[in-house]
Amino acid sequence: MDLAFFIEALVKILVVLGFVLLGVPLIVWMERKVLGHMQDRIGPQRVGPFGLLQTIADGIKLFFKEDLVPAQADKVVFAIAPAISVVTALAAASVIPFGDQFRIFGRDVPLHITDVNIAILFLLGATSMGVYGVVLGGWASNSKYPLLGGLRASAQMISYELAMGVALVPIILMTGSLSLAQIGRAQGHMWFIVPQFVAFTIYVICAVAETNRAPFDLAEAETELVAGFHTEFSSMRFALYYLSEYANMMVVSAVAITCFLGAWHGPVLPGPVWFLIKLSLFLFFYVWLRATFPRLRYDQLMAFGWKVLLPVALVNLAVTAVVLVLKG
Amino acid sequence: MLEPLLFAMFSGVAIGCALGVVFHKNSVHCALLLVGVLLSLAGIFILLHAQFVAALQVIVYAGAIMVLFLFVVMLLNVKGEVPLLTPGAAKGFGFFFALLILVELLWTVLSPGGQEGAPSEAVGLPRDFGSPAALGRLLYTTWLYPFEITSILLLVAVVGAVVLAKRKFF
Amino acid sequence: MIGLQTVPLLWYQILAAVLFTIGVVGVLVRRSALIIFMSIELMLNAVNLSLIAFSRQHGDMDGHIIVFFVMAVAAAEVSVGLAILVAIFRNRETANVDDVHLLKG
Repeated sequence: MDLAFFIEALVKILVVLGFVLLGVPLIVWMERKVLGHMQDRIGPQRVGPFGLLQTIADGIKLFFKEDLVPAQADKVVFAIAPAISVVTALAAASVIPFGDQFRIFGRDVPLHITDVNIAILFLLGATSMGVYGVVLGGWASNSKYPLLGGLRASAQMISYELAMGVALVPIILMTGSLSLAQIGRAQGHMWFIVPQFVAFTIYVICAVAETNRAPFDLAEAETELVAGFHTEFSSMRFALYYLSEYANMMVVSAVAITCFLGAWHGPVLPGPVWFLIKLSLFLFFYVWLRATFPRLRYDQLMAFGWKVLLPVALVNLAVTAVVLVLKG
Repeated sequence: MLEPLLFAMFSGVAIGCALGVVFHKNSVHCALLLVGVLLSLAGIFILLHAQFVAALQVIVYAGAIMVLFLFVVMLLNVKGEVPLLTPGAAKGFGFFFALLILVELLWTVLSPGGQEGAPSEAVGLPRDFGSPAALGRLLYTTWLYPFEITSILLLVAVVGAVVLAKRKFF
Repeated sequence: MIGLQTVPLLWYQILAAVLFTIGVVGVLVRRSALIIFMSIELMLNAVNLSLIAFSRQHGDMDGHIIVFFVMAVAAAEVSVGLAILVAIFRNRETANVDDVHLLKG
């Protein structure tokens, strides 16, 4: 536990934090441009080259808005609800590996902030705690639509979290370890999507539902329930919820890449570059989903999660276990 | 040096939040303070090298059971009509009884025979102590019957909760 | 081998005893059924802490297994108990345990 260890940890934390916080404006810009082009229009194009500074301009605008707290709202909970969302999203980013290790200044530096040997459980725990940000935000607003939106969104998140966890278990079985760095390293020969495409499909669907993104965004879409659980939040509080949604998207995509799409493995370029490429493609896929599919109604959503995804995930788990035992 | 400091921090938070759960007026705040207790206990579990149980505590207890509690608290939404503490003499009796229990527990723990059976110094632990692999090995060999019975119990609980929550049968 | 612990077992047991007592106070003194439920959960957690501490002392993982089962049973108990509570509340519009006294002699 010497000074070099602390410096290494601090640098890695700053890099990851910077990456997530700077990546979010880029993702928002990409979403608006891609959605625009898919809907046969151009999207932001005036602020900065290709509209790149649009998100920054929006952030500055949000900063200057009036910060309203509803009359009978619970002030303490109203303040901490967005914070919980952001903290859990950023905490989950601390176990994601960006590449294998490399030598610098005579030390072997592994490219993740920490390698907990229960990394997947840590991620599931962080997403479980993220539910509180949504349900408390809905309740603390002391208003009908946010409360309904908050309860629906959190019920949705809890249901799909279950199928997500079960979909990740075959990966754990195949690797023999819960550590994300191990899982990444184990995909040198063959990406896990090849034997586990069912689990991959289930995981992607659950990931989209977890982050409350289209087509599962009934609880917060603008045409339903006003704006769902974050209706009454304005200015920087809303910016925090917005940030947490996109940070969650990044984390969930990074986990999908690490577990199914070969983490940082790739032919010519170094590990982190491949990781970045795969992450960008996955996030583009997210936006593509939003542009393409209509929204699911809430009861359709819940029925799908419990009656279809969970049984399929369990069957997949059983089949994987049997095959692994037979292979010896 | 780090371990006693972390223990002091976590236990301080746990006791503070526990007192808040018992004496606070607003039910939702009580539920959130209980989540605080659960998370600080998870931290203490990690200090005790029980990583899997700490993860379970966060995922199952703080992440699922307490969300259920919060839902019910918000659903019932009883605002301030319930008197805070038992009226009258029963309150004094309650505190006195709790004090008796505390004295009894501390007597047992602090007496020379209280630590009997536990080795006087913590033994050095095997490398995979507290890991999911070790717990899984135990769970499916020595403790298989309790495991199966617990799964039946959970099934019974699920069916019972669904039946109780129905408004009318057909 | 993981090294010896620097925090003695006694401190963990005292913390568990204190948490358990706070839970007992909650059950005996509060009148809202929900808070009584939360105090019961507090007592269960105090017991979990005690079990894990002893398990660390012995180097034996049976304590972890028992805590695993306690958590599963607590989950079952909470879901059924809250369902009962919601059913009572639907009928009587009150969550005060003093008001549910029809069987009182």
